Amino acid sequence: MTGEPVAADLAHALAAVVDEVRRVTVQVRTQAATVGAGVLWGRGLVITNAHVIRGDRAHVTLSDGETARARIVAHDPRRDLAALEFEPWRDRPLAAVRTSPPLRAGELVLAIGHPGGLVNAATLGIIHGAESGLERRPARWIRADVRLAPGFSGGPLADATGRLIGINAMMQGGLALAIPAAVVTAWLRRAHALVEA
Amino acid sequence: MSTMLQSFSAELADAVESAGRSVVAITARRRIPSSGVHWRPGVVVATNHTIRRDDNITVTLPDGTTVAASLAGRDAGTDLAILKLGDHPALPTPTLRSDSGPKVGEVVLALGRPGPHLTASWGVVSGVSGPWRTWQGAEIDALLRVDLAIYDGFSGGPLIDPGARVLGINTSAFGRGVPVTIPVPTVERVVTELLERGAIRRGYLGIGTHPVRVPTSLTRKLELSAEVALLVVGVEPDGPADRAGVLLGDVLLEFDGAALRDPADILAKLGGDRVGRPVAVRVIRGGQVKTLQVTPGERPASRAA
Repeated sequence: MTGEPVAADLAHALAAVVDEVRRVTVQVRTQAATVGAGVLWGRGLVITNAHVIRGDRAHVTLSDGETARARIVAHDPRRDLAALEFEPWRDRPLAAVRTSPPLRAGELVLAIGHPGGLVNAATLGIIHGAESGLERRPARWIRADVRLAPGFSGGPLADATGRLIGINAMMQGGLALAIPAAVVTAWLRRAHALVEA
Repeated sequence: MSTMLQSFSAELADAVESAGRSVVAITARRRIPSSGVHWRPGVVVATNHTIRRDDNITVTLPDGTTVAASLAGRDAGTDLAILKLGDHPALPTPTLRSDSGPKVGEVVLALGRPGPHLTASWGVVSGVSGPWRTWQGAEIDALLRVDLAIYDGFSGGPLIDPGARVLGINTSAFGRGVPVTIPVPTVERVVTELLERGAIRRGYLGIGTHPVRVPTSLTRKLELSAEVALLVVGVEPDGPADRAGVLLGDVLLEFDGAALRDPADILAKLGGDRVGRPVAVRVIRGGQVKTLQVTPGERPASRAA
């Protein structure tokens, strides 16, 4: 290979993006044995996996260390999604959701989570398979070649620019499965409508 | 800064997309289709162990069309098989990287098509060995070990570099699920030979051997330089060695002038070009050195030496 050395710059760029995504990653504590992850989705609104939540009470710890009691405002085991609300809200960066362009196989992705009590751990991988556009319906899962451990559940899967593309949900056959951000947005619209009513 | 990460990400996705245009899905087993690479016009390279039947094989192209394919040859030794496509409208062939071999630590991508969609996993080259022989005696120019996860569709798919150049064909068939890549020069050689003859010809003696230390008294008496030689522990009745008079208990010193220290040394000498050509074999028998003329035969499928 020829050209300028890039590895050190790449490493710095990666660390910067990881920092950005960490700022919108929260810890979710319930009666469950392990700490789950969550994404700061809106003002005082956290999205996580339904399977991370045990019981009816939750605490969220934000990346700046602040801890708040949270209400579980939506819990959907079928979609494995839950929405939590907490107060008071100070101005903080929120997750920037990628709505376009579509994901491509081979794209870099990174996940943030809290495996085994290690807070805000990062792991890097690529998109394993992307839909070809031949399908009529949007995909239910994003499949990524990235190694997740328990504690990553509910946390963000982000692209190379730090934009949120999904909520990490599980490992299956060695692949990470994440719920696409578009699915979360649509779900939130319905779930929140129910809460508001 | 982040634009650099973006470029790297886009380059990886570009490489996957570009090389993925020649990755096909092969239906030649039950359940999940396996992967193959459109290696030369009309010729698809696949792994032998994923082609479970000889007939009724179909290939699904990246654009989603399915065409009939026929098995043109297989070689269990290198775990490669080749298919000929009935119809292949403008299907591209990938760029092969043959100028420089892969290096340990290089970032690589493994592509597959276990169905309509292309899949990718990534990792690094973790080991590059010198010439290597499988237990079936097939020669692999350099065995590439890759540190990446094996998913459905891994076997038969290409290993590529971030420039979309193909480094070889992936297989999980060697060494207990350890991912391995058969390098381009080996694939090229096997494809050419399979297209010409439908099978890979390898020489065959019909013996089993075991390395033994030659006693110093004997080396001194016979003025031998070898400390280790090969004891014949098995002779196949009416095999090439049997017909040449090789006996159980003979100690093989040299094959065609080259010292023998390991059973693999014999395999290394038994290329397809040896078949039918007499070779001088030096043995110790009854405390004396003898030279026998052995004519290697063509090895039947799935025999060792």
